[in-house]
Amino acid sequence: MGRKMKDVLAKSIIYLATGITLCVLLFIVGFIFVKGISLVNWDFLTRDYNEKVFYAFVQEEVVPMTIDAASLSQKDPYDKRYESSLEGPIYIENIGAAIAKVAYKNNATEKEQFVFSYIEKDSPLLSAIDSTGKKLSIGTDYILESINGTDFEGLSLEDVAAQINHETGELKIKVVQPGGGVRSNIITTLYMVLVSLLIALPLGIFGAIYLTEYAKPGRLVNIIRFAAECLAGIPSIIFGLFGMAFFVVALKFQISLLSGSLTVAIILLPVIIRSTEEALKTVPTAFREGSLALGATKLQTIFKVVLPCAVPGIATAVLLSIGRVVGESAALLLTAGTVAQIPGTLFSPGSTLTVQAYYVAKEEGNIELACAIGIVIIVIVIVLNILSRITSDKLNVFNKK
Amino acid sequence: MIYLIEKFKKEYLGRSIVTVLGIVIILVTLSITGFLFYKGLGTFVTYNHSVWEFLFSSEWKPADNFDGGGKVGAAIFIVGSLLISFLALLIATPFSIASAVFMTEISPKLGKKLLQPAIGIFVGIPSVVYGWVGLTVLVPAIAHVFNLPYGFSVLAGGIVLALMIFPTITSVSVDAIENVDNGYKEASYALGTTRWQYIYKVMLPSATSGILTGVILGLARAFGEALAVAMVIGKMLTFPDNILSATNNMTAEIASDMGNSAQGGEFNDALWSMALLLLIISFIFILIMRIIAKKGEEVK
Repeated sequence: MGRKMKDVLAKSIIYLATGITLCVLLFIVGFIFVKGISLVNWDFLTRDYNEKVFYAFVQEEVVPMTIDAASLSQKDPYDKRYESSLEGPIYIENIGAAIAKVAYKNNATEKEQFVFSYIEKDSPLLSAIDSTGKKLSIGTDYILESINGTDFEGLSLEDVAAQINHETGELKIKVVQPGGGVRSNIITTLYMVLVSLLIALPLGIFGAIYLTEYAKPGRLVNIIRFAAECLAGIPSIIFGLFGMAFFVVALKFQISLLSGSLTVAIILLPVIIRSTEEALKTVPTAFREGSLALGATKLQTIFKVVLPCAVPGIATAVLLSIGRVVGESAALLLTAGTVAQIPGTLFSPGSTLTVQAYYVAKEEGNIELACAIGIVIIVIVIVLNILSRITSDKLNVFNKK
Repeated sequence: MIYLIEKFKKEYLGRSIVTVLGIVIILVTLSITGFLFYKGLGTFVTYNHSVWEFLFSSEWKPADNFDGGGKVGAAIFIVGSLLISFLALLIATPFSIASAVFMTEISPKLGKKLLQPAIGIFVGIPSVVYGWVGLTVLVPAIAHVFNLPYGFSVLAGGIVLALMIFPTITSVSVDAIENVDNGYKEASYALGTTRWQYIYKVMLPSATSGILTGVILGLARAFGEALAVAMVIGKMLTFPDNILSATNNMTAEIASDMGNSAQGGEFNDALWSMALLLLIISFIFILIMRIIAKKGEEVK
């Protein structure tokens, strides 16, 4: 009886511990979702982090309102970013849009601003152009700063409406696209993934080929293995310091996409080598022998027989690497910077999603925005997980045959 | 004949390319190590501080200029790092081993379906996310529960790190347990043991070397994590009285001050020395892992 009791007790302890673990994970993910989900929407994904000010040219055209007054007031632009709606909205016929006055909250600074709350389908605002004739789109919740040089700051909503109704012909309006989005960070992350994989993938795959196919067991192989192991064990902040002192300062690459990618590429090397090696090892020796017996050279065997069989393994390596790049923070903080912009060249800085999340949480104390970015990151992580499961299943299927 | 030469050329080319790339990996490791030694030894060579002072003194007042003359005792940071990492290990290891046993022995089906994907996500979540969840939830909670003015503490750092190293230890332990010979299990049950007796007396002892590898891997990760810890540690330049007091650790200090100090100055060099120490410690962890792995193989 005592033995049985012990068995049950131990089992329940293990169930409890596992349960706690799962609860903690659920709590963390849940916390991030609850805090951040209200900010995640299409605009969040497609807008830049910084506000964008631009001038738009609009042909004045009277467009009558097609909805009734009650539903217009429903189109209050009030949402998370606004502290409160102060006046409004008033429909202005000659631009076919409604404007409201709100207290606009952005990164802890508060301002009274005029915001488009509703735009008619035929509104001339939708066919606005910039000074070079390129089409622009002005959407609801864009901020209206001035028309034809008249600054609206400090005016009441009625005055502004009267002012705009008074204007005729081509209107030059200054609008601000609200910031707070992560488009630039998503694109920087993609660039970072692309460039670092371009550097690390060939190196890693060839290194793995050397280790499994060419090298005879001996001192050199041991040293390479040890070196790869050491690389895998070095904390990422040290890679960051190395990248900062070597790529950024010594090679004068500046804090840039290139410095960041090179640093991350070094971090990825051991990951890629290990996964590729595992994949190459699972290819049956009989395949190699058969290929060599048919008169193929070793190189032909490797490239036409062994590597194609190992593709799912290499795909897993790529997915793992993408995960590493997405999750990397300390190394990229020091080498690629915290500027939320799309890097124009290899030598311009840009922050990835994770770095941006860190920056927003640490420097601005904006936990909600950080959590919203966290949601994007977690979704990416989940997708990568599912994909890598599929690819590794493929590798296993091949082995069973 | 020409065909043969072509063939030979191709073979030779392929071989040399992959060999060179293999050697590049060694070079990268060597250059990182060399570079850190070059930078990190400045404190001792240029500014004439003793290694003893660096490791065991707690007076940290490096001069941010090229004259030197400050104090570079990094003991507080070293103690902070050690304390937080071991606390994290203490918290994470029981849960990791329990989860690993759950996934392999108690309910493999549920483990594969529920726990494994969960751990996959756990690994993928960037450490800074753990950092700010710690900052917004854990730190106020600790302040509230223990009635402290601030919750920034060794405990907060330990818990955040424990969350981060949990998946590492778990997944390595699962591999180790799965590698235990199935014959052991059958023999053990045939002798009339209960499942718990098998797990406790047969399975875990034979998986020890693998589990230890996981634990040290976790320790290495905990030791090197920077930004998440920096958010919750409190950055106080004092030895912690207990696990509820704030202190500082090596990575947090490096991350916060490396950019603010003059290149090549005493302060900067002292930080590089800390980075060098971090590198040496991580190499020691790797060596320990190799020794454990070798011993494990010998036993088999």
